[in-house]
Amino acid sequence: MDSQQITTLTGVLDKKMNRQLKQYLDICARCAICKDACHQYVATGDFTYLPARRAELIRQIYKKYFTKTGEFVPALYEARDPDENLLDELYESTYACTGCRRCMYYCPFSIDTAWILSVAKAILIAAGRGNEMLGQLADAAIFKSDNFDMFRDVIVSGFKDIEAELKELTGDPSAEIPVDKKGADILYVALAGAHSILPAAAIFHEAGTSWTLSMFESANYGFFFGDAEKARKIADRFMDEAVRLGVKEVVITECGHAYRVANIFHEAWTGKKHPFKVRHILEVIDEYIKDGRLKVSRCIDVPVSYHDPCQVGRNGGIFEQPRDIVRALATDFRDMTPNREQQWCCGGGGGIVAISEMDAFRLKSGKKKVEQIRATGAKIVASPCENCRLQMEGLNETEDLGVRIAAIMDLVIECMDLPGRKQAAEGA
Amino acid sequence: MDTYLQITTVVGVYVAGVVFVAGMGWRIYQWATTPKSPVRLGMFPKPKTRGGRIIKMLKDTLIAPHSARIEPRMWLFAMMFHVAALAAFVGHLRLIQEYPILPELLGAEGMNAFAGWAGGIAGTLMMVAVLYWIARRTFGPFKQLSVPEDYLLLALLLGVIIMGNHMRFIGHVHAADYREWFQSLLAFKPVIPDSIRFSNVGWSLGTHMLFVNALLIYFPFSKLVHTIGSFSANLVRSE
Repeated sequence: MDSQQITTLTGVLDKKMNRQLKQYLDICARCAICKDACHQYVATGDFTYLPARRAELIRQIYKKYFTKTGEFVPALYEARDPDENLLDELYESTYACTGCRRCMYYCPFSIDTAWILSVAKAILIAAGRGNEMLGQLADAAIFKSDNFDMFRDVIVSGFKDIEAELKELTGDPSAEIPVDKKGADILYVALAGAHSILPAAAIFHEAGTSWTLSMFESANYGFFFGDAEKARKIADRFMDEAVRLGVKEVVITECGHAYRVANIFHEAWTGKKHPFKVRHILEVIDEYIKDGRLKVSRCIDVPVSYHDPCQVGRNGGIFEQPRDIVRALATDFRDMTPNREQQWCCGGGGGIVAISEMDAFRLKSGKKKVEQIRATGAKIVASPCENCRLQMEGLNETEDLGVRIAAIMDLVIECMDLPGRKQAAEGA
Repeated sequence: MDTYLQITTVVGVYVAGVVFVAGMGWRIYQWATTPKSPVRLGMFPKPKTRGGRIIKMLKDTLIAPHSARIEPRMWLFAMMFHVAALAAFVGHLRLIQEYPILPELLGAEGMNAFAGWAGGIAGTLMMVAVLYWIARRTFGPFKQLSVPEDYLLLALLLGVIIMGNHMRFIGHVHAADYREWFQSLLAFKPVIPDSIRFSNVGWSLGTHMLFVNALLIYFPFSKLVHTIGSFSANLVRSE
């Protein structure tokens, strides 16, 4: 490793340094209480995935280049250069991390390992070792907004197709999917694909909401890739749209990281306060059901369980609304143990589902989730995060769980009195 | 012997005191002058009010209820150590000033007996906890994760505790004599009383202080800064 690269990589660490990071790097006692908090470590027993170890790699660089004691007596801290060996292990432990922050929950000092690893990602990117797949997906999203004229017609005609389905589903020929509607109350930011647009559109239609659909999807691969600048640009796409349309609130679809990016990260990245509220679609649906704006029947009679996506629950603060919705739809709701802020990560977060070489590891890391689902005896597991659902569908298959993994909006649609529901359900 | 005591119980104490205070000050200054993360790093559920956040931070820092749930045994030994260390610290304040009321209530003999018991229990608990930590670090992932710093600190702690216990259990020197020594240090007119120098624990005070000085000198540059850092780190949890 030449000194030029060391300067570059330590420069990244210097640039990313802040009070929290410094304290986390200074105070960790290496007590390893975090080891039993991490689903990946618990499932594999592999030292690479022990949370404190993941952070320790950054600490080793920090000690050597940012502290006098580490500079003079590196052996005391096993301080070392960010060499190829270190970067190899760092890549593995950092891009495998789902960012669930369960280790932070149990840490006696509340050390945010995921925050340390966000700096690790910046270092990996500077070393040319950022995950290629996530980087490409992030660039594609930015390309889409930079060259939006190229895409606009295709996107709008896609929305028209979904609108036709909506008319059928609601039995209302005037039902529409509004786009670019100035002064709408809600800008709804979906994911790519009808599955996250159609149910929301039907719900907004039934509730008589004034809304408009964003041209951009909420998924943020820049966030997973670990490049804050790219992540901000990707979120800017719909945030700027919301400002332009003058909406009262931005509602993020059933997704984990997109909600946290929009609700917590984006203002910090831009340094500006949003002139609108940011809410998760499940908060809105829960409110509609409780206000009687949305009529649903308790139509599910098999046991249903709910999985808290880490970015929605522990890191997003939404615990009760999805449970209340499920309770309004199902006669037999069974929570997992543990649940809410202690919920086990399913293993699918942080962009790992897009990294194909980690597929086998990812499914293995779902061991705790499999045990939890089995213990509930549920037939349906509902969860609002697409990555969680992908992971749990994988687990369902490989572990033969025999459950249905469902989005909450889909369950809501099933329990609404919609004339075209049957056809739509069969069509899907 | 006199030279040894002169170094560890006089010169060393001054050096360690200066390094410790300056080092901790430097550490706090560094933390305070590094800009805060613009991103809120808190996790849910979090208290809505500032008072609630501070109460939660104190609870998380002083009792660590979450850690207790995930590894009760480690939590037990950690609490044992920290509570005993606090008790020992409180006991050592007698070096500066004898407590009011207690000696009158218990009488001179009673006070010595009480201090003997309390100090003996605290010292034993600390020793057991440190031995547990050393044992824990010798196997599995804990061994892999450990770096020399961890063992160095445990060794220093063990040295401090064993020599403290030695003075407690073997010696017949009581607080008044140690206080004479410590107050002379505070007055910058250092004297090592003959009652200590010519006792069977003179060398153990010297060795106790050797470890204490080394620990205090290294303290601000080690992970032991968690003693203050954990408060602000736990406050970030609710931001």
